[in-house]
Amino acid sequence: MSHPAHVVVAPLLVALLTAVTTLLARSFPRLQRGLSVLGGVGYAAAVAALAAAVTGDADGYIVYALSGWDAPFGIVLVADALSAFFLIIAAIVGVAALVFSVGYLDRETAALSYHSLFHFMLVGVTGALLTGDLFNLFVWFEVMLMASYVLVVYYSGPEHTRAALHYTVLNLLGGAVMLLAVGGLYAVTGTLNMADMAHRLAEGAVDPAPVLGLSALLFTVFALKAGIVPFQFWVPDAYRAAPAPVTAVLAGVVKKVGIYAIVRVYFTVLSAGEVALDLPFVAGDSYLAFFGPVMFAMAVGSILLGGVGAVNQPDMDGLLAYSSIGQIGFIVLPLAVAATAPYGGSLMTFAITAALVYSLNHGLAKGLLFLSSGVTRRAVGSTDFADLGGLSERDPAFAGAFFLGVLALIGIPPLSGFFGKFLVFDTGVRAGSTPVLALALVGAVFTVAYFSRAWNRTFWGDPVEYDPQPRLVAVLAVLAVGLVVVGVGFEPVVAGAEAAAEAAVNRSGYVDAVLEVGA
Amino acid sequence: MTASFVMAAVLGLLYALGTFLLLRRDVVRVVWGITIISQATNTYLVTMGGFAGSVPVLAGHGGHGGGAVQDPLVQALVLTAIVIGFGTTAFALVLTYRVYEEHGTIDLQALGEDGADIDGGEPR
Amino acid sequence: MTTVIARTVTRVVVPFILLTAVSLLFQGHNLPGGGFIAGVLTCTAFALVYIIYGQESLRTLVGGSEPGDGVLTGLPGTYARLFAVGLGVAAGAGVVSTALGYPFLTQTVLYLSDVPAVHALTELPGIGTLEVASAFVFDVGVYLVVVGGLLTIVSVVGRE
Repeated sequence: MSHPAHVVVAPLLVALLTAVTTLLARSFPRLQRGLSVLGGVGYAAAVAALAAAVTGDADGYIVYALSGWDAPFGIVLVADALSAFFLIIAAIVGVAALVFSVGYLDRETAALSYHSLFHFMLVGVTGALLTGDLFNLFVWFEVMLMASYVLVVYYSGPEHTRAALHYTVLNLLGGAVMLLAVGGLYAVTGTLNMADMAHRLAEGAVDPAPVLGLSALLFTVFALKAGIVPFQFWVPDAYRAAPAPVTAVLAGVVKKVGIYAIVRVYFTVLSAGEVALDLPFVAGDSYLAFFGPVMFAMAVGSILLGGVGAVNQPDMDGLLAYSSIGQIGFIVLPLAVAATAPYGGSLMTFAITAALVYSLNHGLAKGLLFLSSGVTRRAVGSTDFADLGGLSERDPAFAGAFFLGVLALIGIPPLSGFFGKFLVFDTGVRAGSTPVLALALVGAVFTVAYFSRAWNRTFWGDPVEYDPQPRLVAVLAVLAVGLVVVGVGFEPVVAGAEAAAEAAVNRSGYVDAVLEVGA
Repeated sequence: MTASFVMAAVLGLLYALGTFLLLRRDVVRVVWGITIISQATNTYLVTMGGFAGSVPVLAGHGGHGGGAVQDPLVQALVLTAIVIGFGTTAFALVLTYRVYEEHGTIDLQALGEDGADIDGGEPR
Repeated sequence: MTTVIARTVTRVVVPFILLTAVSLLFQGHNLPGGGFIAGVLTCTAFALVYIIYGQESLRTLVGGSEPGDGVLTGLPGTYARLFAVGLGVAAGAGVVSTALGYPFLTQTVLYLSDVPAVHALTELPGIGTLEVASAFVFDVGVYLVVVGGLLTIVSVVGRE
């Protein structure tokens, strides 16, 4: 590798340098805010450049050896269509939340550490999406979480400290468990490089039984990050406590990193191993056959618990938090179908495409809705439905943006959500699975139910006192336009998602690119 | 073999102790529990490197003669994990102090009863 | 806590701790040691002074500004700046290599015995092959981060 492709490391470096410079510029709040937004825009530009480079690359993989040590001995960053897809979600939601927070947060307090931590969170997200090393994934997760712990406790009131305590303790435990699983996988396979691990598993040189147990352990950690039932209990409190733009990123991006990790580690890497399974409800000869039913059960739990919980919430933040538990179920559901499908077949690719499109839709729409909750808090002073009403009269633009977000999550054409939902249903049809269809239908009904309640209580009824927030609403409007654009110009989006899904199941391509076996 | 057995027993004990502390009502003990569990994990990582050889550090630039050496990678991993654990433990302890300041208690039961209805966002 | 014994021992021990810390920092790029462990050791020295002699003496030692109203004013402010600078140094040490066309974080070593101008110096008895490792810059950054971060925690929590 004579000519390192710095475009791979560019998003990481931009976020890192922005984090450092905003920290150094602490004494000059105006400069700091400017740098922070500039860094955000630069991050988006770097991600766009990376996505373009990946698309333009002949085999679709760009490998970057940190410090010049090649895989499997050094740590490599691997950019392919799958990481690029999630990076784009991160860039859109991240930049929108960042611009929003400039107008939303109290400037005195934000100057202390907010901007720096926000960019550190992006550093962690970017690293986790790009790394080709399992232990490195743990490190980036910790970077991301460490920043998010502090952002959750940002307001440092009684409720916030308590929510942050739960969030921190759970994730610290998750970190220890992840380290345990990673260490175990290293002991069994003798490598930490994901491509090398897949290579060794495919060769059959590894005892498959311990790998199954360790990967199940690892799965719990990813599920904890993604907030899938039964690892969802930290979600509502943490989402309520964190400032609105942070919650938008937690729900829109950090959760998706958990999903990315599941797709990358289980579909690209661990699918290589063969193990004879003889368990209740589980039959097959690959690890994926084991995780299929597990993911299906988790999707059932998420959609039901998220739906029932959301219908029952007294405030908008709580409703959105439970809603995001339910919506994660919609992402895991096609993944469960994919896991039981023949490896690399069209059904598996299609199901992963559905999950990815739904992730994009959920990231944008839920980001928009959590920011809307922030606008409500700023404009009315509360997000309790008891204190809200008639906002559609007070601020039609705000109501319109919120409405678009809701429609996108419900899945009305021509918004992005329609295609997301459509693909999930189509996955069920193609798999010929009645339970999948029934579950998706139940989830869709729940979505309509709790969002009509949110809409009725917030935007109809007797108008309450309202302090207009035109600048914040402008950010929402941009995101809402994004939802429409993704829905109308759907062809390139689905093409990108398809490329990402193909990259996710193209194990030999990944292994060859990283280890340069064929080169 | 004996070494592995001893390590397995020690690890089991550490995890048991950590879990026990984690389930206590006192927040400080919970943080201790977390710390012990992460230290147990670090010990586990070192154990995963095996007990085959001598010190892996390249004393005198590799001129330590032949013979097996320990896997140095796990030690690098543990070093990283220790640094991360160090940072998170410090944060957890400061957070515990903050919780005590805000609620006047570090009993989890009392914390749960203190304002069970969370109203998030800005402080009241 | 502040008995004569404790005060005397602190006076004697602190320079040794600092010396060990610095030596660990300097050998970190190819021997056990490095920025993190040196930073932690330095902090123990500061913590010892802080516990035995109090925060005021530390201020005269470090030369921080007077404490104000905010959280990060006075000594903690100095430490927090140290933290930020260290982060900048560490990140910069990685970025420089990309500017030179190498992958991020690439490090190199310069053996002074290979440099003609100072070659004679390395032939003096007891000196040997002197090396200047670029990883040392990274280590210094880590050192500053650890010292800055830890002392910020100690001083902010200690002030409460």
